[in-house]
Formats: sequence, C-alpha cells, structure tokens
Amino acid sequence: MTRRARLIVLALGGAGLAALLIAACFDLPRFGGPWHPYGDRAVHASLARRTANTIASVNFDQRAFDTVGEMSILFASVLGTVVLLRQTRDEKRALPQPEEVALPVRRYALVVLPVAFVAGLYVIAHGQLSPGGGFQGGVVAATALHLLYLGADYRALERIRPVGLYEICDALAACAYVVTGLAGVLAGTAFLANTLLPYGTFNTLSSGGIVPVLNAAIGMEVACAVVVLLARFLDQAVEIEEESGKP
Amino acid sequence: MNGWTLTATVALGAGVGATVWGVATGPLRRRVVAQNLSSALACPGLLLLAQGYGRPAYIDLALVLALLGPVGTLVFARLLADDLAEDPPHAWGVTFAVAGYGAVVVLVLCAVTGPGRAMVKLLVIGALLIGGNLVASRALSGGFARSRRG
Amino acid sequence: MDDPLIVVVLLLVAATATAAVAVRDPVRQALVLSVLGVALALLFTVAQAPDVGLSQLAVGSALTPLLVMLSVRKVRRRQGDGKGRAP
Repeated sequence: MTRRARLIVLALGGAGLAALLIAACFDLPRFGGPWHPYGDRAVHASLARRTANTIASVNFDQRAFDTVGEMSILFASVLGTVVLLRQTRDEKRALPQPEEVALPVRRYALVVLPVAFVAGLYVIAHGQLSPGGGFQGGVVAATALHLLYLGADYRALERIRPVGLYEICDALAACAYVVTGLAGVLAGTAFLANTLLPYGTFNTLSSGGIVPVLNAAIGMEVACAVVVLLARFLDQAVEIEEESGKP
Repeated sequence: MNGWTLTATVALGAGVGATVWGVATGPLRRRVVAQNLSSALACPGLLLLAQGYGRPAYIDLALVLALLGPVGTLVFARLLADDLAEDPPHAWGVTFAVAGYGAVVVLVLCAVTGPGRAMVKLLVIGALLIGGNLVASRALSGGFARSRRG
Repeated sequence: MDDPLIVVVLLLVAATATAAVAVRDPVRQALVLSVLGVALALLFTVAQAPDVGLSQLAVGSALTPLLVMLSVRKVRRRQGDGKGRAP
C-alpha cells in the first residue's frame, strides 16, 4: 500500500468514527440531568447494606467480582516488572553513595513519613464511610515509605524494606481477597456474596459487612505491590550497573 | 454557586492557570517552582470546594494533596539536583505569598468551622501544606548537595 | 449550578494536557504531568467524584513523577557510561 492509500484509509476510518461519535453525543442525556437509572439503584442497594460510601459498596460488594479483575491486572503488571527489571548476568550491583541532604529537608522527611503512613491507613480504614479506600490508601502508605529515600538515602530505605517480605505479603493479600470470596461459595450462595458478616450500624467503622474486609485486603495488596514496583525501579536507577571493562 | 465556590473558581483559574503557564514554558528553574506552587494553590482550592459543597468528607483530598504534593516536588529536587545546582531557583517572594494565601484560607475556614475535631484536621492540613511547600522550595534551591549517583 | 467552575477546571485540564503533549523533553514532561494530575483531581472533585480524584492525587502527585524520573536517571547513567567508555 502506498503512503497515499494508507492516508485515504485512515481519513475514511477517522471520518466514520467522528460521525458515529457525534451522532452518539446528540443522543446522550443532558449534562448534570436528574435521570440516573443505575445511580439510584446503586445508592438504594448500598443504603440497604448500610454502607455510607456508595462507591465502596459498588467496588467491594455489588461489583466485587470486577475488583478481582482489577487486582489481578495490578498483580500481573508488577510481576511482569519484577521479571523485566531483574539483575541480568552482565550487570553488577554498585553500593550507592550516601547523599548529603539539607537538615530541614531531612527533618521534614522523618516527621512526615509516619504522618503520611497513618494517613494512608486512615484512608483505607474509612473506605466504606468517606471518599477513599484500599487503592488510594495503599498508594499513599507505600509512597510514604519512600520519603526515606528522598530525605535520607537509598541504604536507609533498604534497611526497612525487605523486598522479599513485601512480595509475600502482596501474594497473601491477593489470596485473602479470593478466599473471602470463596467463603460465600462454601456458605452455599455465590462467589464474593456476603452471607456471613453482619452489616453493623450505618456510618460506623464496622459497617458494610464484607466491604471493610475486602478493602483491607486490597489496601495491603496495593501497598505491597507499589513498594515492590518502586524497589525494582530504584534498583535499576541507583544500584545496578552494566559490567564495564569486560567484552 | 455560593461565595466559597466562587472564590475557589477565581483562585483556581488564576492561580493554577498561572502555574500551568509557568510549568509549560521557560527555564527548568521556573518550571520546578511552578510545579511546587501548583499543589500549594490547589490544596486551599480543594478546602474551599469542600466548604462550598457542604461535604466535609472532601477534605480528605486536601489532606492527601498536602501530604503528597511536597513529596512530588522533593522527587524532582532529588533527581534533578545536578541540573538545579547549576541554575538554582530563587522564588521566595512568590512562595511566601502562596503560603500566606494557604494560611488565610485555612484560618478563615477554621473560624467558620468552630472548635472541634474538624478544626484540628484543618489546622493539621494547613501546617502540612505550608511546612511542606516551604521545605520543598528549600530543597529545590540547594537542598541536596550535588548527588553522586546516590 | 456550578457551571463556571466546571468550565474553568475543564479549560485548565485541556491547557495542561496540551502542554504535556507539546513539551518534548521527558524531564519537563514529567513536571507538566504532575501539574496535569492536580488539574485532573480538581476536575473529578468539581464533577462530584471524590473517590476518583483521590486515586488521581495518590498516583499522580508523587508516584508517577518518581517512576518517570527514575527511568530518566537510568537512561542518563547508561548514556554517561557509554560516553565515558568511548575511546
């Protein structure tokens, strides 16, 4: 195919897609309109299950099976990163030099690290009550640990971060989610259906039945996955060097 | 639309709009300062929006931004230390002006909220925001000695 | 309704996203990307989707810049080594 023919095919396809999209836009409900068939049902179901945050109820109760898919996407991509960024035979590890950090920056990092970590746990724990949940809180908690790299140096981070342990916790948390789902099957209903846990009092930490349990599993999975992911990137950027001098 | 959201509209449009211009053009030292100020300007905006919508739960967004925004700037300060050492940014005037804006917003919201847990949370966010952005500015203008691949 | 607010934030997102595409150097792109994260979080908030906004803030403000900048450092180190070894 010549360049010209390819351009014509591209233009035809693009014009067709544009026409379909414009036609679809004319049939959309108005922006901010009052008609929300799915939203109304989701809110009703989440109130019936005494979960204050409808999004958490959709993610971890009404559509908990979709979250299994999202969790396995993260798990698989971190696994792929670990395999791709491993230390190969022609690479060696160089001990990173300690960094000189200005005193206010170092103090800030050491003060904010625990605060950010606790804030991450707070976001995970309040997932069923206010905006947030396992994913957001897990990322915040994992990022907090890396303040040790930013405010001190890489060796300080390595001391509190045994990567092997985080890899095991990542797998355990992913298993915990699936096992919680299988409990529903054993109880005689369906995968991830809540039959055992009480719904509790509306707008308290223990409300929502299965939601806080799955939230905690996702929070642990995401936090460990982010730590493992960043560990691989940091290894490559800071420690691993190509073997020089040898052919 | 009420007074809170109107203030947020003006502040976000002018403030964050200016930082978008600053981060997209000019030398590197201006871009890193604009990146730091974007989180310092957006965080009070989120507080104003939470008040304007009457939804205290939205304050969690401002808390996360106050915690992680300066961390993002520290990332750039740490990993661009070599480039910034040659041409360090000096923008303390703007930085203190933005910190003052954050302090005013937090104090006004505290006065409206009244004493209680919500006020403590607001003060924590304000302290994290202002402290974080001042430290991040300090880190940008020579907080890391020339990094030796560390 | 809060239409002016939504319009302002949408314009912010459009301007930042265009800048992120127009800037060519990866380091400067990472800086614009970090501001784009903040702008998107504002958009999600004014569209009353705070959960999504929180995800965007958590990922976009520190994690994405760190991943991009670590990759840049690795590439630069490799280029530096290549120059150093070249006769």
